[in-house]
Amino acid sequence: MREKKIDQDQKSENPTEALEEKSSRRSFLKGLSIGAAAVSASLVTGCVPDVGAATSEELKLRWQEFFKKNYRLMTQDEKDQTVARLERLASLRDGMELQIGTEPPVEQVLYGYAFNITRCEGFMECVSACINENNLDRKTNTQYIRIFEMEPGKLDPSEGNGNFYHEVPVENKFYMGTQCFHCENAPCIKACPTKATWREPDGIVVVDYDWCIGCRYCQAACPYYGRRFNWGESEVPKDEITQKQHYLGNRKRPMGKMEKCTFCIQRTRKGKLPACVEACPTGSRVFGNLLDPDSEIRYVLKHKKVFRMKEELGTEPKFWYFID
Amino acid sequence: MKRWVHRTAGLLPTAFLLLLLILAGAQPGAASEKSFLDEVKAVNTPFDNRSVAQVLPVTQPTVLAKEDYQGGSFRVLARKQEIERFKCSSCHTDKEVRGKNALELTHGNVVVQHGREGNALSCIDCHHPEDRDALEDKKGRKIDFDHSYQLCGQCHFRQKRDWVGGAHGKRVENWAGDRVVYNCTTCHDPHSPKFEKRFPVIYAVPLN
Repeated sequence: MREKKIDQDQKSENPTEALEEKSSRRSFLKGLSIGAAAVSASLVTGCVPDVGAATSEELKLRWQEFFKKNYRLMTQDEKDQTVARLERLASLRDGMELQIGTEPPVEQVLYGYAFNITRCEGFMECVSACINENNLDRKTNTQYIRIFEMEPGKLDPSEGNGNFYHEVPVENKFYMGTQCFHCENAPCIKACPTKATWREPDGIVVVDYDWCIGCRYCQAACPYYGRRFNWGESEVPKDEITQKQHYLGNRKRPMGKMEKCTFCIQRTRKGKLPACVEACPTGSRVFGNLLDPDSEIRYVLKHKKVFRMKEELGTEPKFWYFID
Repeated sequence: MKRWVHRTAGLLPTAFLLLLLILAGAQPGAASEKSFLDEVKAVNTPFDNRSVAQVLPVTQPTVLAKEDYQGGSFRVLARKQEIERFKCSSCHTDKEVRGKNALELTHGNVVVQHGREGNALSCIDCHHPEDRDALEDKKGRKIDFDHSYQLCGQCHFRQKRDWVGGAHGKRVENWAGDRVVYNCTTCHDPHSPKFEKRFPVIYAVPLN
């Protein structure tokens, strides 16, 4: 199906030709306005790439990508088309064979996460796994997870040491990890002026990277410092790129977008554990379905002493800390 | 002047009423008392793990645990295939083992740091004194290497309880599908169970 579409696209190589295929008045006007908008956009921001460097197919695909809808307004057909375009673009530009998915949320699932502050010993395996899984920028060392070395009795990570680098664990210290908490009542969603970030039905707070304008209001709104802004396209060595991707997850983010932990949406929607949970050498990380009374996460909530960070704000994070 | 006073006198109570209405509507305390957790806790029908279509089964060898999890069964990663030179009975036969430096050559890598000082464990605290292919608990029951949690749980009963429930240890690969968990010995070296100190694999950078 996807290949067929690309074949059709290849027939009309000139982007203006493609726009004028149906020559109704409406499409003509649309083409005219789109063209005008694109010309001005290219003049202002330089977004439309160097014509000489790109093939006409690549140019056409980028052109079409520029005018797609918000992910939530797309039909499944449109989702398939944009994913096919992104995959084709990746193979044209970088010679990468990617599999970008648009898996919908699983019914009757609400993801929850628990972190054992007694067990974590600060080995940072989770951070490393997250970087690899989510194709995080190696140049600026973007990290979604932070681990804080904490003094006993303190429970606020802002009082801990987030930049430790020595042999761990240190006697009489404990370790506390933070990341996006996927709040049920998320302030970042309310702050977004373009509706580029929202809560999916399975509770994951996601970002449509192509709809984000990079204003960073959400970063200011998040009381947990869960969001990261990229100052440039991520630089990842080609052989380290995770090829199984999700449109709302670890696919290549354009420059100047907001990104953050997505509970590894490309993994969890296929029943796999997030990369951090799988990498944790001490079993401090528990992940599961809150709507399943038999799940591990529900066991932890029922039988352990749990607390959430800044609970009094009413943000309802789905990320609990617990002690043995 | 008098007319103006009359008019405002009529307006004031209405304005006051309006203010009251607005305040009552925007009371933050009343809104935050209801939590999504109430809805979560109200769900008591088990989730059908087969509804996650794309879940891949665990490929590592597993055994069915001899414990109950939430009224059902679960699987544990097998251990025997991980043990070097298993079966032990290929050397430990009825005859006495009499190589020169045999102990040093075969088991020199084993460092026992298990149990508090003065109470350190010895080999036969866990290993079966006669049948080397098995373990033995304090009640004299023979325990399979694949089910070592039965042995560890004698002392570490709190950890075992948490492990069965899912608060200690971890699942293998999947949150959905059949429950497969790590064995005690997948993570802990049974001879020196405490994790060794080491450097973190990566360092953190200051927030942007």
